[in-house]
Amino acid sequence: MTTVLSLEGVHIVQKSFQQVIIRGDGKEQFNQMINKELSITPPSKNLEITLSDKFLFAKHSFNQWSLCYLKEQSYKDVLKFISNINSRDEILASDYSYGQIYFEVSGINRNEFLNKLTHFDLRTKKFPDFTLAQTIIARIDCSIYNLKDKYIITCNRSFEDYFKERLKDTAEIY
Amino acid sequence: MSASDNKNCPYVNIHQKISIIFDGKKYSAFKGDTIASALLRNNVRLIARSFKYHRPRGIYTCGIEEPNGIVQILSEHNEPNTRATVKQIYDGMEIDSQNRWPSLKFDIGSINNLLSPIFSAGFYYKTFMGPKGFWKRIYEPLIRKTAGLGKPPKEFRSKSTHQNHNVDVVIVGAGLSGLIATRKLIDTEHEVLLIEQDSFLGGVLKNSYKVKKINGQKINIWLKETEELIKNAKNIKILKNSLVTSYNFTNHLIALEDKFAGKKINSNKSELTLHKIRTAHTILANGHIERFISFRNNDLPGVMLASSFEKYIHRYGVIPEINPVIFTNNSTTISLLKSLINLGHKPAAYIDARNETEIENELLEYLEKNNIPFYKDAEVEGCDGNKEVQSISIRNNKNEIIKVNSSMLCVSGGINPDIHLFTQSKGLVKWDNNLLTFKPDVPFQNTITLGSVSGNYNYEKTNEEISNKLSFLKAKIEDIKIEINDINNFNIKELWETQHEKKSNWSKSFIDLHNDVTTKDLKQAIAEGFDRIEHLKRFTTNSMGTDQGKISSINSLGIVSKLLNKNISEVGTTTYRPPYAPLSFSAIAGRSTYEFYDPQRKTPIHNWHIKKRAVFEDVGQWRRPWYFKKNEAETMHQAVQRESKQTRETAGILDGSTLGKIEIKGKDALEFMNLMYTNPFTKMKPMTSRYALMLGEDGMIKDDGIVCKISDTHFISTTTSSGAPKVLADMEEYLQTEWPHLQVYVNSTTEQFTTFNISGPKSREIMSKVFSDVDFSNEKFPFMTFKIFNYMDTEVRIMRASFTGEIGYEIYISPKHSLALWEKIFDYGRDFNLVPYGTEAMHLLRAEKGYVVIGQETDGTVTPIDINFSWMIGKKKKDFIGKRSLTRSDTAREDRKQLVGIIPLDKSQFIEEGQHVVECKTLPRMIKTPVPYLGHITSSYHSPNLNHCISMALIKGGNKLMGTKLFVSTPNGTKNIPVEVVNPVFIDPENKRLVS
Repeated sequence: MTTVLSLEGVHIVQKSFQQVIIRGDGKEQFNQMINKELSITPPSKNLEITLSDKFLFAKHSFNQWSLCYLKEQSYKDVLKFISNINSRDEILASDYSYGQIYFEVSGINRNEFLNKLTHFDLRTKKFPDFTLAQTIIARIDCSIYNLKDKYIITCNRSFEDYFKERLKDTAEIY
Repeated sequence: MSASDNKNCPYVNIHQKISIIFDGKKYSAFKGDTIASALLRNNVRLIARSFKYHRPRGIYTCGIEEPNGIVQILSEHNEPNTRATVKQIYDGMEIDSQNRWPSLKFDIGSINNLLSPIFSAGFYYKTFMGPKGFWKRIYEPLIRKTAGLGKPPKEFRSKSTHQNHNVDVVIVGAGLSGLIATRKLIDTEHEVLLIEQDSFLGGVLKNSYKVKKINGQKINIWLKETEELIKNAKNIKILKNSLVTSYNFTNHLIALEDKFAGKKINSNKSELTLHKIRTAHTILANGHIERFISFRNNDLPGVMLASSFEKYIHRYGVIPEINPVIFTNNSTTISLLKSLINLGHKPAAYIDARNETEIENELLEYLEKNNIPFYKDAEVEGCDGNKEVQSISIRNNKNEIIKVNSSMLCVSGGINPDIHLFTQSKGLVKWDNNLLTFKPDVPFQNTITLGSVSGNYNYEKTNEEISNKLSFLKAKIEDIKIEINDINNFNIKELWETQHEKKSNWSKSFIDLHNDVTTKDLKQAIAEGFDRIEHLKRFTTNSMGTDQGKISSINSLGIVSKLLNKNISEVGTTTYRPPYAPLSFSAIAGRSTYEFYDPQRKTPIHNWHIKKRAVFEDVGQWRRPWYFKKNEAETMHQAVQRESKQTRETAGILDGSTLGKIEIKGKDALEFMNLMYTNPFTKMKPMTSRYALMLGEDGMIKDDGIVCKISDTHFISTTTSSGAPKVLADMEEYLQTEWPHLQVYVNSTTEQFTTFNISGPKSREIMSKVFSDVDFSNEKFPFMTFKIFNYMDTEVRIMRASFTGEIGYEIYISPKHSLALWEKIFDYGRDFNLVPYGTEAMHLLRAEKGYVVIGQETDGTVTPIDINFSWMIGKKKKDFIGKRSLTRSDTAREDRKQLVGIIPLDKSQFIEEGQHVVECKTLPRMIKTPVPYLGHITSSYHSPNLNHCISMALIKGGNKLMGTKLFVSTPNGTKNIPVEVVNPVFIDPENKRLVS
């Protein structure tokens, strides 16, 4: 965990999570399979998040989920989970543990700060707690997980330097 | 006669004196002044020169509608075209007038005014038609040189930012209506954004004497109370110093905030913020704009709109002239009259175009009581003076001309609802015969207009109007009683232009001060047949440009309607274009400039490349090493030749992480892959790979890559770097729309895998050392197979494939482990003379081998057959994307452009990419008829391994031209290079090196 910036009402730290992208039909068998492996049921509504001590499970679209490990696992265990899931033809699980970067954004001014970089409507009535959004921040594709008092923002790893520079630049001229 | 201070004004700080420099001369002013108020305070009347005729011009208004007072701010990186009437000053601000040379007082350009009789409307269109060739060589360069206002800004790096807002209600304008509306929305469920262009809330309340009391409270007390209430409300945010410039579709507004209004810019902070606002409802409470009247010399410095004059008194505490002349055709000027009298000053004359029966009794009594020279049923014939008004000629009701001496003339020709934003939102307007103006009629979006912008000029009825219009928002019910100093029944007489005596050819009656358009120009345009208002606008430039006719467009409609003998509503109105006021490109660009111009993607090895002196090139958004400089002196050519030669002799490694990677899985994955690609995958063995081609539905090559088959239900594809998102999107689209019956899922894994391409005769030995547990022999690891195995707590996938023609491997590993592995490969590779190579050497090596690059050898019009890739088409396949199109007569014909190799006959010559392949030895010096050409060079390099230039080309019927002698054009000169058409595989056509 590294602090990227901290200013009045905005605190941003970079975190790393292991992540698996899961595709499937979301039906009973699919849910059972996931539940058997992780003891958690995938969220059923689009853009919904299920949060536990260990996992952040989010439904990105009608047949796509992302699973973030909130506590670091042995990488072999993650790969084993993927292998087990992929033993079924009707599911595709892809390792994305190091393909994305993660920023935790907290503080009372976080919406105003982020709205310097995105047009997305972050108000609770439009972006309820424990939902996710897939949108553009600083002109790149990002996902925002709304965890009530903070956001987790993810984007592709290759944009790491650019994205961090944009965040810092925004803070400098805030 | 001169200016004086109104010391009761609370909005400028008379205890804080500051100074500014205008045209090199120092003037003292007060904190809170604008450039205009500061100059008026110092009796400076001449501010600018007009756009076309360079006529002397002064301050005409007190707001963004200013057509004349446009200046250049030297202390703000030469910012040109700044409206002096809104730009607040700070101590030491340096300002220059513009569009004059050598000085404002003596401007050589004013010769245009002397020549003005020939510069009438349409002069440019008529004059610059001939003789032939003059436009390009003489007219255009000359006009370009003299056109425009101000000097370009000095080079600077703007720090303008953007701020997005999502709210329920936007209120534009914090004047009387805007503030009452906002008060009613305090603590409601709506999130409200109140936008005010000034530094203070209040609008007309602080700009004039029109409103006396609100709820029995003095105006300043009510304003203070209201601002406190709004500030404390959790659901309301205020933006001051912010001008709404555009009202776009779906209630999207743009506002520009001056972050340093009245302060010196801090170059480390954002000087401007562009607010992008999305809202459910827009309340326009942006008031009105006073219009002028056309008369002889109505542009002389000293002529000013009456309400602007009043605003200077109340908002800026400066009385521009203590004894001005007031000229009106309506009832609104009484408050200016009262303001002057209250301050102990008296107008030199009051001229009202209305007759006695139309003039309010209150006004008549007031004029009489104060013994003010009064002319009813009269008009201003014109005014005269040297670079400023000195005398005003009045035509009285007996048609006699009477001269009055004064240095200022306050004019009111009526008021227009400020409908610019309303019409930008596509709202419809209608003509009001009582108000003599257009006012909002039917909104196109969720737009509500309040107060004078809606045509309600009666301040006493403002609260009632707002309560009615905002009831659907469940706004608070609050009774607000407004007492006025004004006349509550607006009355106006139609008067667009006064009758004037012809004094000289240089006396002009202007209709558009900003663009120097006269009423004579309008008459001439109509006489020449431009009787449609949109045509007339373009012919005369009336109401065009950044001004958009704010104070004059209705007047021009009035004059045109008279000339055409039509009602104004029949003449119609022109469209007010966004932006409402000019905004700089830097504000629009925001932070997306310089280092943030385009988001950059970097591979996990990027920093290593920097250390090794890589020179990067942009591939899409990726930064890829182009070549590595061995030392600072090494040129690109030398580096690329060295990298290519060394790779063929020993081994080279490329960071190929940018390649797209897609994982495909599902019980129907095999069928899906057979449909997506031209290649057949059915008989392909598991754990093997295949070079594959993807076509568009038109049969043209779209992308290529290598497909790895793990099983019939599980594949991994690579794509080109720039094609990755499109290929993934296409796969998803086909799955969701064309083949929803297929159970297949696709995931992009581009970012999850770092990819290295190692190739060269020594690559097998290096790989064997790095991955000592893996058998890399030909038997165990043949060409186009792959293995997945555990390595360093992760999984590695290695595929035997090559894009150089040498034995090669592609390594896929997670980004976390990639740098360690890359460095390990180099450690082991040092003994084998392993070299890192960039994209340029990659292109050279693949060209030697005759491999194509999608986007270089193809351009969206090339089929697999054209590049001799028929072998990649699964002939027995029932279907694949583009299959049908490959049998169309046009795609199947033999004389299509086909891929060939080209080498110069003289091996010392070099062929440039993009040059034409022709049959003629030389090109004519002047090409009068098109020269027949066969095709073009797609790739061309100097091969260090063959020691001559090798090229690839797409030429008509190329396959049948093998061995033929042709010519290739050169970038300079007419002499072509003689070449021979050859097979495009220049090195190892038998693939001995590849599969060794």
